[in-house]
Amino acid sequence: MSTVSTTSAPKAWLQGVKEATPLLGGYIPVAISFGLIATQAGFSQWETVFISTLIYAGASQFLFVAMFASGAPLWLIVGMTLLINARHMVYGPNLAPLLPASKKSVLLMHGLTDQIFALALARLPHIPQPQRESWFSGAMLLAWFSWVGGTAAGAQMGETLIAQWPFLAKVMPFALPALFLVLLAPRFTSRQWSITLLITLACALGLKLVGWSNAAIPVAAALGTLLYYMIDSLKQTRG
Amino acid sequence: METTVIQTVAIQQTLWPTLLLIAAGTFAMRAVPFIWVHKHLAKQDGSSALPPWLGILGSCTTAALCGISMVPGDQVLSDHSLTAWLATGLGVLATLLVWRKTRSMGLPILAGVMAFGMALMIPA
Repeated sequence: MSTVSTTSAPKAWLQGVKEATPLLGGYIPVAISFGLIATQAGFSQWETVFISTLIYAGASQFLFVAMFASGAPLWLIVGMTLLINARHMVYGPNLAPLLPASKKSVLLMHGLTDQIFALALARLPHIPQPQRESWFSGAMLLAWFSWVGGTAAGAQMGETLIAQWPFLAKVMPFALPALFLVLLAPRFTSRQWSITLLITLACALGLKLVGWSNAAIPVAAALGTLLYYMIDSLKQTRG
Repeated sequence: METTVIQTVAIQQTLWPTLLLIAAGTFAMRAVPFIWVHKHLAKQDGSSALPPWLGILGSCTTAALCGISMVPGDQVLSDHSLTAWLATGLGVLATLLVWRKTRSMGLPILAGVMAFGMALMIPA
């Protein structure tokens, strides 16, 4: 994973686009499914596209559509969707030292999804400081447009697309775990980090398997952080 | 048919205020902590003012995201569960092996997806 060698902002922007390209494998099939499900639930194609454009948070969008279609109280819909998105509060503080304090950076936070966070956290330190905002803009816009475009395609012709390429729809989402692995691999720098990251990964996987999909990320990440400090204190005790 | 009409009317009446409220809330959860930390850093004059646990939590979040994304999708699992897990294992292995060799981003991901796809073709 090389450092951006250029000093031009457009090249850094393109580098961001290029490095976010693997996200499309995960985003587009899920966005197509969302477009299809939302239109089947009674939303118009435009409404479906606006949901993806404005909320732009996968799991909470599915919940929003399901609760709305079932006639759940509005306060409950708002509360539950925001609760699912609450994990995003951790992402901004981690990226703040890496991005400038500009109005543009603040606006770009709209695209701070789980995947863009993980990608930016790993890649921004390797990008020269003046080009970081451009890099983030390229990566974030590609991911956002692919999500909105996939939703539009799903709303317009979701059933046809899924019927035509069923195997591709099964295979492409593996791009996401592969991307996370590539981002995570350089962090296995010591035994302490290796134990922490492997147990965090296994914990999240286990929580998802038992049906705690939405709690898996914050719970596993918090446990992993605690584990890191426990190992630290054990090391200090042993001298 | 009647249910669909009722649903559509209900959606049209309350959709936009609810949608805008959720969108604003989600954006605030992404942007406000970012602004807050920038203000905090400006006061402290340096990134060292950030607590170290925040960086550790960031890396652990990436590990957690990796863990949940490894669970094969419902569509793959419902067809043949054992093959799906075998394909995931092979995909992980291929990704890591190619990463170790190239230390790049694109090729390991491509290798992982191809290994996953080929393993899925194995009859259950």
